[in-house]
Amino acid sequence: MRVAIMYKRLLNIYQVRNGLIHTQNTRLPSTKCKEKERVAPVIWTMGGARPLGTSSIFFSENKESSTSLSEDNEKRPEENEANAEVNNDGQKNTKINEGNNISNAMLTSQLETEPVVKLEDSKKFDKTKTGKESLLELLGAMKVEVTTIRKIRPPKFPRVSERPDPKPMESVQSMFQHATAEVSQQHETLIPTLVAAASAAASTLPNRRQAESELLQQLRKHEAIPDTQRRADGQNIGDIISDMKVGKKQNGRSNARPSSQIRFDEDGQGYTQDRGITGELDAVRTRKSPFTSKRLNIFNAGAEQDSLSDLGPTLWDIDLANQIVQATNQTPRNGFEEMIQWTKEGKLWQYPINNEAGLEDEASVPFHEHVFLEKHLDESFPRQGPVRHFMELVITGLAKNHHLTVQQKQEHIAWFRDYFQQKDNVLKEAEA
Amino acid sequence: MAAAWKLLGTGMGFLQSSLPAYRSSLGVVEQVRSYYVDWRMVRDVKRRQMAFEYADTRLRINAIRKNTILPKELQEIADKEIAALPRDSCPVRIRNRCVMTSRPRGVKRRWRLSRIVFRHLADHNQMSGIQRSMW
Repeated sequence: MRVAIMYKRLLNIYQVRNGLIHTQNTRLPSTKCKEKERVAPVIWTMGGARPLGTSSIFFSENKESSTSLSEDNEKRPEENEANAEVNNDGQKNTKINEGNNISNAMLTSQLETEPVVKLEDSKKFDKTKTGKESLLELLGAMKVEVTTIRKIRPPKFPRVSERPDPKPMESVQSMFQHATAEVSQQHETLIPTLVAAASAAASTLPNRRQAESELLQQLRKHEAIPDTQRRADGQNIGDIISDMKVGKKQNGRSNARPSSQIRFDEDGQGYTQDRGITGELDAVRTRKSPFTSKRLNIFNAGAEQDSLSDLGPTLWDIDLANQIVQATNQTPRNGFEEMIQWTKEGKLWQYPINNEAGLEDEASVPFHEHVFLEKHLDESFPRQGPVRHFMELVITGLAKNHHLTVQQKQEHIAWFRDYFQQKDNVLKEAEA
Repeated sequence: MAAAWKLLGTGMGFLQSSLPAYRSSLGVVEQVRSYYVDWRMVRDVKRRQMAFEYADTRLRINAIRKNTILPKELQEIADKEIAALPRDSCPVRIRNRCVMTSRPRGVKRRWRLSRIVFRHLADHNQMSGIQRSMW
C-alpha cells in the first residue's frame, strides 16, 4: 500500500514536471517552507519548461527523484556539506539552469552514471516546493482507510505539528553522519527509487530522521513480506492471538492452610472459625458458565423452532396468558364493557338479534335437500307395508321442521333404518 | 410467547376472570358463585345434561310407541327399550329451581328466580323494566 502511494507520488511529481497538473503557487505547506518560498518562482520556471520525452517511467522517476534532490540541494546555498556529492548534481543543475531544454539523452546518461547509493546518502533537508506541493496533493487525494481493524503498524507519518522546527539549523555534519550511519545498514535490499521517495516524504515532516528511518523500515518490511500476506493482516493478528495462551488466574488454593493451623482474626485476638472449602468453591463457581463461553455451532439454532410453532398454544402459553390476564386486571369499567365481555363469552346474544346465530353453514344448503327426503327412503326400506307408511310420515314431519339441519334429519332417518333392520324378524312375525 | 398473545386476543385467557370481591361499575359487590347452591341443584344439573344426551333417542323410540300404524309387537319392544334407558334421561325429572337459591317452588319461569329473590332485586332496582305496580 505504501509502495503504491510512493509510486503515485512520484508519478504526480512527473506529471507536475510535465506541466500536466497545474498547481498554484498559493498551495504551500504550512510553516516549513519558508525557505522554499524563496525559490518557488525559480523552480516553477524550471519545472514547467523541461520537456520529457520517451524515457521510460522508471528512468523518469529516477530522474525525478534525482532532479528533485538536486534542486533541493541546489536551492540551499547555506548547505556546505554535500559539496562532494552535489558536484554531480550541481553539474546537472547548472545545465538545467543554463537551458530549459535539455535533451533526454543527457539526462538519462547522467542518471546512469550517478551511483545508486548517492540517492540514499544525499540527505534532503527541505524538499522543493513543487515536490512538497505534489506530496500534499497526493496526501489530500489519498483515500482515508476507514476500518475498525487495528493494524499492527507503527504510525508511518507522525503528525505534522503547527509549530516550527525546533532545530531548523542543525549541524550539517552531524546530520550527514546520522544519515550515513542509518542508511549504510539499510541500503542493501531496498529499491532506490522507493528509498528516495521515502526520504522525500520524510523531509516534509518535522522529525526527518525519525520519519525517514521509519519509512525505510517499513519499506524493508514490505519488501520482505510478499503481497499476499499483506492482505491478511487481520488474520495475522488472529493467528497471533490464537497462539497466545490464556493466562488463568491462579487463585484456587490461595487460602490453603493446614486445617489444624490456628488462624487468628484481624486484630489477632480471637480465632476465626473453620470456613471449610467454601472459598475454593467460590473460586470454582466464578468461572465462566457454559452460556458465556464461545459458541460451538454444533446444533442448528433455528431448526427446532419451526416444529414448535405448528403445535399450537402449549400449556405454558395458556398459563402465561392467564398470568397476563390476572396481572392486567381486565375487569370491565362500565356496563358496556361488561356486556362486551359477556358477548365474547357467549352468555349474551349478539345484537341485532339473529335468529340463525349458530346456523351460518345451513344458509348455503339448498332447500330441496331439506324438503325432498324420499331418496333416503329408497335404500333398505320396504316399499310397502306399515314401515313404509311410518317412514313417510317421518319424512313429511322432518321436511316441515325449520329448526333442524340436514345433517340431523339424515341422522334421524339412518337411526330408523338401523332400528327396523334389527327388528326385522319381529316385523315378519307380526305380518304372519 | 406468540401463542400466548394469540390466546389473549381470542379471549381464551379469561379462565379466571371472575375474581373474588369483584366490584362492578355500580359500586355493588356481587356474589361470587363458583359452586352450586346445594346438592339438589347439582342433581338437577346432572338430569338436565343427561336429558340433553338422550333426547333424540327418546324422541325416536317414542315416535314408534305412540303410533297406530306399526304392529303392536314392535311397540311393546319399544316400550321395554325406553324403560331400559337411565332414569335421569327423561326430562320429566327436571325441576325448574330458582337459580340463586335453588328454591323448587315459587319460581318465575321468565327470570328463573324464586319470588323472594325477584322481589329483593326488583326493590333494589336490579331488574330492568320492573316497577312496583299500583293501579
